[in-house]
Amino acid sequence: MEEKQQTRPEADIRQDTAAEAASQAPAAESRKEKLASGRVIIRTVHLKKSYIMKDVVTEALRGMDIEIVTGEFISVMGPSGSGKSTFFNMIGALDSPTSGRVFIDEVDVAQLTAEELAYLRCHKIGYIFQSYNLIKYMTALENVTTPMAFGGVQPDEARERGMDLLDLVGLKDRWHHRPVEMSGGQQQRVAIARSLSNQPSVLLCDEPTANLDLHTGQEILDILEKLNTEKNVTIICATHDHRMMDICDRLMWIRDGSIDRIALREDVHIEIGEIGGETE
Amino acid sequence: MKEIHVADQPWLGLKRTARITLDGIRYRLFRASVTVAVIGVAVAFLMNILSESLIKRGIASSTRDKIAQMRRVYDWSARLTSPGSPESVLTELAGANAEDDIYAEIASMCDFDQATMEAFHLQGRQAITAIRFFTDLDYAKRRSLVHTAAGVQILEYLRVPQNFERMVARLGEMKSIRFPSEMVEFEKFLARWPELKERTESVMVARRRAIAAVSVPLGRRTIQQGLADADGAFGDAVRQAGFVFDKDGVAGEVQEQARQLLDVLRLENTMDGAKCRQVIAQKANVMPADVNVMMMWKYLNSKKFSTRYLATMSEDEIDVEGLTPARLVLLADARQERASLIRAERLTVGAGKGFMGLGERLGWLLFVSLLVCGIGISNAMLMTVTERFTEIATLKCLGALDGFIMLMFVLESSILGIVGGVFGAIVGAIIGLGRMLSSFGLRFADAIPAGDILIAILASVVMGMVLAAVAAVLPSYKAARLAPMEAMRIE
Repeated sequence: MEEKQQTRPEADIRQDTAAEAASQAPAAESRKEKLASGRVIIRTVHLKKSYIMKDVVTEALRGMDIEIVTGEFISVMGPSGSGKSTFFNMIGALDSPTSGRVFIDEVDVAQLTAEELAYLRCHKIGYIFQSYNLIKYMTALENVTTPMAFGGVQPDEARERGMDLLDLVGLKDRWHHRPVEMSGGQQQRVAIARSLSNQPSVLLCDEPTANLDLHTGQEILDILEKLNTEKNVTIICATHDHRMMDICDRLMWIRDGSIDRIALREDVHIEIGEIGGETE
Repeated sequence: MKEIHVADQPWLGLKRTARITLDGIRYRLFRASVTVAVIGVAVAFLMNILSESLIKRGIASSTRDKIAQMRRVYDWSARLTSPGSPESVLTELAGANAEDDIYAEIASMCDFDQATMEAFHLQGRQAITAIRFFTDLDYAKRRSLVHTAAGVQILEYLRVPQNFERMVARLGEMKSIRFPSEMVEFEKFLARWPELKERTESVMVARRRAIAAVSVPLGRRTIQQGLADADGAFGDAVRQAGFVFDKDGVAGEVQEQARQLLDVLRLENTMDGAKCRQVIAQKANVMPADVNVMMMWKYLNSKKFSTRYLATMSEDEIDVEGLTPARLVLLADARQERASLIRAERLTVGAGKGFMGLGERLGWLLFVSLLVCGIGISNAMLMTVTERFTEIATLKCLGALDGFIMLMFVLESSILGIVGGVFGAIVGAIIGLGRMLSSFGLRFADAIPAGDILIAILASVVMGMVLAAVAAVLPSYKAARLAPMEAMRIE
């Protein structure tokens, strides 16, 4: 594990333009270059989380250290109960760790006030959930513009930007539909548009394709890939979906609350069969 | 990539929060309407009780005045024929103020100077307070304190030293009751009782003399017949005899009431006429022998029948002089009004006492009902908040502040509270109004305190709103404080 972490770049290396240029040509070499040139966006230090239920203490995370750089697409894999979701909640500032630290953009999440946390969730992180979690009584457009409203964007501008985002996920003509009037795939696309509404630094996806069939799942993956390559959005994605391996830069396996291994996509492809047996 | 810095999240503002809240309510219209119904029923109950007691109080006070006015002719009939008892004289005096007619009348009839009159007034009040105290006790206590004495006899009885000492000793043992004044004061008062008694008797003597003086001009007429001329010569005679019988105010009114009374007697005597009976029997669909005065008054309620009745009276050779159909209708009306006033007085006994004029029992009932609906609303809000934990968590992920979440829920329940409150208050007021008017009669419509009811409606709406808002504060506070993921985990 130590070896792999050495491949990560230093935090002070900032060559965003270079990374953007590199992402235009998604080849193995440029990917490595991208990882090397990005700056650290999320860093965890000895992250631990335990849940206390009556007398039983369950250790969901047993000390995780990882750094994720800008523009990276990283897939997090692991069997159920491995601590994947807990890890997600920690780096998404949705839950507080028992010990250890989470830095988002070199800001210690534990140090933030409630208002600053709200700002962080609003502007820095976009969330995509397995069950979409759209607000049921809002139209697609309202769902997309609500985070902008929270962030203080004026309604007219928010509307314009919201339409652009819906256009990006191919739902421009369905802007006035409520979630119940849309299919699962469409809802997830609205959720993606929503997560992008304040131009977040990081997109956190918690099993975005798990509730969808193969075809619509592929659509979602295509959108995510497009976002990563064209807009250089950092994506962290928890998944069981093996197709995700085709589009991500790095893969990370979690087992029993600690990092099992981290690998580049090229390295993984060769041993896919073996890993498939391991992850499920 | 954007420049990274962390700042405070801006506040969304009330208007947009309200819009999001309203959208939410519209989406969950059914659930919201159930909550509105709970609040509405509670507020309707509150408003119903409140409006009924307000109306009752309004009717009671207007009835009291009207009845006092209506009884003037009886009062004067009594005063011009009987001097009353020592107790009634003292009660009259104790109930009067220095500006009242009765006060001036006693002073002038008995030639009391101002100092004597003041002392008399004060002692009279003391006497009545003491007599009332003993009279209001239950029989066993009263008997052990003052034996079987009643009225002013009580004072006589207590003037015997050993009786007084026994009374004081026994009263000391009764922990729950207190004598209205200091015992020493009372003892001093009893010592001066002969003085008071003498003055009271002199009032009665003077009244007896005045009544005798009035009886001369009255001659062979009854007192009502005399009072039918209250505005004329007879009234002058009454004034000359020493009574304070205000020519401008009371006299005219008493005269009209006396004339009505005489006409009523005349009409009730028509029941002796066979044809008169026949006419009413036909209308009321009974045998002529079963016709009673009530049926006659009911019959006379319209001008058409009154005209016919006057004709029938002539056929029966009954004197109809001075009677017109309009007069008959007026008499029937007055009679009906009197009947409903007496009914209203009976129905409003005890109205206007206790907290907010509700009376003790209703006040307690109201408190319990408020408690019950407070819990009902809390439950409804708790359910609404709990079932929306996922939504709360999602909104927090999107950057909502804790304050926004709380405001959203408090706003929602306030809106539901206002809607339910307005709905309930109007329904409650209408039910209360309908019930009261149907039990007292439309005649009392002008005695309804519209302003008070409007205030009560406002108060009920505010009550519903506050109740709902307060009930929402705790669950929404809890929900807003949860970390998003914890909220999502609770399903």
